[in-house]
Amino acid sequence: MLEKILLALTQVILCVLLAPFIQGIIKNAKAKMQNRVGPSIFQPYRDLIKYFKKDAVISDHASWFTRVTPYICFTIVLVISLMIPMITLSAPLGFASDLILVIYLFALSRFFTALTALDAGSSFGGMGSSREIMLSAILEPALLLSALAILLQIGTTKLYVAATAINSAPGLVLQPTYFLAFIAMVIVIITETGRIPVDNPDTHLELTMIHEGMLLEYSGRYLGLMMWASQIKQLLIFSIFISLFFPWGMSAVANDIVSLGLGLVVFILKLVCLGVFFAVIETMYAKMRLFQVPRLLASSMLLSILAIIITVVK
Amino acid sequence: MELTREHFILLLIQKIGNKAVSIDKSNQLNTVLKVNKYNLLEVCLFLEKEQGGRLFTMVGTDERKVTGYFSLYYVFAFDKYQVFMTVKIDIDEAEPTFPSVSAELPAANWYEREVNDLLGLRALGHPDRRPLVLHGDWPEDVYPLRKDYDAKQMAPRVENRESYMEYEGKEVVQIPVGPIHAGIIEPGHFRFGVVGDTVLHLDARLFFTHRGIEKIAEGMSLDKALLLAERVCGVCAMSHAVSFAQAVEDAANIDIPERAKYLRMVLLELERIYNHVGDVGNICAGFGFAVGISHGSRLKEQLLRLNEHITGNRYLRGIIALGGLHRDISSDDLKLILETLDEVAKSFDELTEILLSHDIAVDRMATTGVLSLKQAEDLEVVGVAARASGRNVDCRKSHPYALYDKVKFNVVCDEHGDVLARANIRIEEIKESMGIVKQAIANLVEGEVCTKVGMIRPYTIGIGWTESARGENCHWLMIGPDNKVFRYRVRSATYNNWPAVALAVPGNIVPDFPVINKSFELCYACCDR
Repeated sequence: MLEKILLALTQVILCVLLAPFIQGIIKNAKAKMQNRVGPSIFQPYRDLIKYFKKDAVISDHASWFTRVTPYICFTIVLVISLMIPMITLSAPLGFASDLILVIYLFALSRFFTALTALDAGSSFGGMGSSREIMLSAILEPALLLSALAILLQIGTTKLYVAATAINSAPGLVLQPTYFLAFIAMVIVIITETGRIPVDNPDTHLELTMIHEGMLLEYSGRYLGLMMWASQIKQLLIFSIFISLFFPWGMSAVANDIVSLGLGLVVFILKLVCLGVFFAVIETMYAKMRLFQVPRLLASSMLLSILAIIITVVK
Repeated sequence: MELTREHFILLLIQKIGNKAVSIDKSNQLNTVLKVNKYNLLEVCLFLEKEQGGRLFTMVGTDERKVTGYFSLYYVFAFDKYQVFMTVKIDIDEAEPTFPSVSAELPAANWYEREVNDLLGLRALGHPDRRPLVLHGDWPEDVYPLRKDYDAKQMAPRVENRESYMEYEGKEVVQIPVGPIHAGIIEPGHFRFGVVGDTVLHLDARLFFTHRGIEKIAEGMSLDKALLLAERVCGVCAMSHAVSFAQAVEDAANIDIPERAKYLRMVLLELERIYNHVGDVGNICAGFGFAVGISHGSRLKEQLLRLNEHITGNRYLRGIIALGGLHRDISSDDLKLILETLDEVAKSFDELTEILLSHDIAVDRMATTGVLSLKQAEDLEVVGVAARASGRNVDCRKSHPYALYDKVKFNVVCDEHGDVLARANIRIEEIKESMGIVKQAIANLVEGEVCTKVGMIRPYTIGIGWTESARGENCHWLMIGPDNKVFRYRVRSATYNNWPAVALAVPGNIVPDFPVINKSFELCYACCDR
């Protein structure tokens, strides 16, 4: 029991501490590919420390919603971080680690963020949330479908069960359904993490923002929490991707230090690789027209449906 | 039969001479026709609509101490004959009004609002009575460009009576943006009326960087005013300096040495090249295309360092003198220019190939922010923006200065009028500019680079113009006693082009605004002055 609690704590702390690092890796990798020196990979930590030291200014028109949302969002990602297998093939909140629940917990956090963006009555917030909600209406089914394309084969919606199954039968991954689902999921992840070609996380152009637009009214520790939460969310999404497509290296037992340590190293390595992968995509593409993003997501859904049909027909 | 320039002027005088109170032909290129103010509209319409002139600039002056009147000068350019004609009206202080021509000539809109703000001369019948240059907290009856207003005094601030466009309707949302922006850019307030993400109307409020440069210049010696002219704007410093110097040289009626003319062309084209290279990279920032942004800024940096090496200033300040150049450029430096340009041309070709073969980038640029030819003509849009919409204006060709009539180059035009067309024009113009630099350096003659500007007869008017990276910059100068500035009016390309941005945006979606704005690449400072 004790080691389970310890493991759960480790996993949460790991997520919280590692998320800015992954963000730093992506930013630095992008800079390197664009011929720039780029910020240090530890810059996101310094940014967070800076935000937490600063005063938070909140609009006079904002209600208690604005104050509460950062804590809600942060709590939600902490809860989700217990549901996804990372170092071990089991998740601390295994009984609840249902993928559908995870997706809708993300939706809950999105709901609060979007609502709060309207709270202060600034036009950028309104623009950001209307765009975010428009996209999420298509994003959520797309994410669900691409995950289902894989989960259907294994016959579960529990992430750790799927990870264990794929870990023990690596041959699964070589099937065409996997390939289709892989592309579908990459598209979804780009959208979910707010990256180019869907959203530009580094832009200062208020008028083009989607996710960042909703955070414009925040400052100080509130902004820090929101940024941190979205970095953790990015790490979690990467983890879902890892557990569905390459779970190998995760520790099968929870009480062997060596295999846990190995699991940790492999996990971090996989995250870094994924980060660099998405940095490459971001550098290769430009931001597409806002109204073409649904089309991109539709193509992701199409691939997932194809994958599902193949599975069902078999 | 083709008319010669002299015949054309005679023809014009023949047709409207009966409206004229007096005709001043002392400047061969710029005939001044003084008319009664009630004939203003008729004469302006005749010159613009029937004779194909375009409103080059309009200047209001306070000449009460000299002639007893305020005067307005409407300068029309006739591209076909490479000549100007100025229509002048006198306005009595007791009745400081004049008939507006804006309803018929939309290009006159801002000019007339500006003389209302700065000189208190009211355009009767003007469709837009809102202040332009001075904002709502400036007292209503204080006119800074009147000679009796002391530039050093502080104007009292009054309660803000600024009024903005308000948008109404069930589905219409109003988005105010600026004047302070998130990026490091100049201030401007934009008000979008949108339905969903589609823009219905855009109202741009500018002139936040109005520094009263024209007022400060009054009474300054010409040498000192040149330094001021160089600082009207950062990225058009060379173009403004040459425009001012040419205005002085025009008033003094002197010819500068041939070597100086060639070198001025080299420097002017260097300014255009670094601007265009940087602007193409900047357009990429509008849709987050990182490769374009970094290569654009890398190449721009390379060119800025070249500038610094040649002139000692990254933005080419301090080399232009009245009557030529302050110092010669050595043959080693000229060689370096050619070498660097070759290097940049090679890398820039790679960049354009990447950019124009990138599906998303082209998709974002094509059909975005279309400015129609009709709109461009009505507003007298100039520069890249005009040529991208099929309006062939380039004062290097139509009113050659320096030795632009001695070098071969094409005026690149496109008719699509979208962001892609404006990017393409820049890409092509860089090649043309490099050609001009090469020819200028090849044809360069030895000799002096500066002539002396003597005493200029007081109240002589000089006009200087250059085609900057953004379009023609026109400096209108009236010399006072002792070779000092009496009235100085800077009309930059952006002054003509800003109203066009507001027309190109409606119908597009809000997230496309930054890329449209960047494709026009207008500076605020040289519009606001």
